[in-house]
Amino acid sequence: MEIRKSATAGTLESSDVLVTVAPGSGPGVEFKVESIVIKQFGKRIRSVTEEVIAATGIKNAAIHVQDRGALECTLRARLETAIARAAESA
Amino acid sequence: MSSSVLEAREERWAKKIALARDLAADSSGRPSSLAVLTLRMPAFLRISGRFSPNALSMHASFVALLRKRGIGILREEFRTSGDGPESYISVSLDPLELKRLAIEWETTHPLGDLADLDVMDASSKPITRSDLGFPPRKCLICENEAAVCSAGQRHEAAIIEARINQILLASEKTDRAVDSAIGRLALTATLYEATAAPKPGLVDPLSPGAHGDMDYLTFLASAAALGPWFSEFAKLGRLHKGQPRDLLPALREAGKFAERDMFAATGGVNTHKGLIFSMGLLCAAAGRLQAAGRSPDPAACVSEAAAIVRGISERDFALLEPRAAAAAVSIGSRAAAAGAPAVQGAARGLGAATGNPEAVADNPAAASAHTPTVGERLYLAYGVRGIRGEAEDGFPAVIDHALPRLKAGLAAGLSWNDAMIDSLFVLFTTVDDTNVLGRAGREGLNFLRAGAGRVLMLGGMTTPDGRGAIQAMDKLLVERNISPGGCADLLALTVFLELLATAGDAAAGGASATAGTSAAGGATAAGGATAAGGATAPSSA
Repeated sequence: MEIRKSATAGTLESSDVLVTVAPGSGPGVEFKVESIVIKQFGKRIRSVTEEVIAATGIKNAAIHVQDRGALECTLRARLETAIARAAESA
Repeated sequence: MSSSVLEAREERWAKKIALARDLAADSSGRPSSLAVLTLRMPAFLRISGRFSPNALSMHASFVALLRKRGIGILREEFRTSGDGPESYISVSLDPLELKRLAIEWETTHPLGDLADLDVMDASSKPITRSDLGFPPRKCLICENEAAVCSAGQRHEAAIIEARINQILLASEKTDRAVDSAIGRLALTATLYEATAAPKPGLVDPLSPGAHGDMDYLTFLASAAALGPWFSEFAKLGRLHKGQPRDLLPALREAGKFAERDMFAATGGVNTHKGLIFSMGLLCAAAGRLQAAGRSPDPAACVSEAAAIVRGISERDFALLEPRAAAAAVSIGSRAAAAGAPAVQGAARGLGAATGNPEAVADNPAAASAHTPTVGERLYLAYGVRGIRGEAEDGFPAVIDHALPRLKAGLAAGLSWNDAMIDSLFVLFTTVDDTNVLGRAGREGLNFLRAGAGRVLMLGGMTTPDGRGAIQAMDKLLVERNISPGGCADLLALTVFLELLATAGDAAAGGASATAGTSAAGGATAAGGATAAGGATAPSSA
């Protein structure tokens, strides 16, 4: 899957997460995670993000995860949607 | 998480940003911000529909708080999306101030724990609790941060649901306490009025006035029967969601049952039929104000009451016109037989509008089968609208005459008893009392007015001459079979509005302390000061 444009999924509401996916500058995927529960769930959020990136097979992307305490299933769905939207032709 | 919930949240988010953009586009230069209220509970409960009525009342309550603080509301919308109920409120207020009010509401409203009030500024930036130095919200179940527990699903759904039910129950208890507080003040006012003495022609502790079938104890029994009903009227008002006038049928229905209990308590004597209508109406009005988060000041109460009964005399009396002649004859014959059961039964009914469901029927056949109430007969004979008109007009006799007089008397240091009696005489001079008209005609009414005017000129309860004139008047009214029961009812309403306004936030908050204190204090005064003047107050409790 190729990232063609910048796209978002989710919201900055409580128990949700806003994921922004944009074309990256390098060959790999870089991602940045912010969370109001980073202390408790930072590791888990990163590993879920890496998992989804691997599963979709994207390269050359910059991903920004702004978490407001989303459930893991919500995070997964938001990541997948944001990536799918960013991969649509512009 | 179902995809429809996730999509609905994105739609809400987009709508918020669009509304924030609208705020930014407004070039007035005034600060503005947006609040969005959603249910704070797991999605499966949020979308269950079970809590939509609660969400609507939370929305109304927050809007009422903003209005109370004088904040301009630019736009409000309540809707239900795939993520449950949500409401949008755009205001002319600095976003940090709006967030501060949102936190205040979340902390103080009985259902505040079940709401998320998000605030956004005109540049779509969410304002958080930490922007104001507040700690994160706590979990509904434990002492941890809510976000940690919900993100980690630390508590079972069944436990969260049970906790939410518990919060709802506690809130209903608070609401019921408010109904009771309103009802208790109405009952207190009814007892004050019954106890106030001397009331010429009327039942009081010293004399049954122009009545052979009831005395002071009959009134106490009647009041006791009505106490729970006053709370019920307050509850009906509080729970009513639609237009004010759509509340009237439910009030009339409850009124019929209240009448039944009154007759059972008095052995079939009509002590308070008119009061059930008017006091019930004011209790419902107070309940509505409570639900809207507004303070129950007298002006607000009477205007709310007027909105509930708007058009009532036109509707009720329109059905009577074809039978006017026949009914006028029947009034004449009944008036001549003063003392007969039919008239005595109407003793205190200032044209009771309760208990006559036929009167609101639209078809003439039903209307012709209806026996007119006192108020209806008096309308036919004299064209006076009685208590219906008084209520429709927002109780002008109470607001413009009796209440100012009561307040002035109390402020001048009169006892409750004496202030009430003076206030009653002001009512005598201004009201077309249908009870007097029914028993003694226009002539009786003129006689009452002239006497009352003389009493007030002599200083009423504040001077020996005034008190002497009141005593003399009692005898004359009894002789002429004049009993101004309509005015007595209006006095009870006057006292209720005063007690309600002074109990104020205590009643609104469901606390009983203030109401209780003023009740006890007033009872002493009412029981103590009589026409004899200087009689020592019997202890009230």
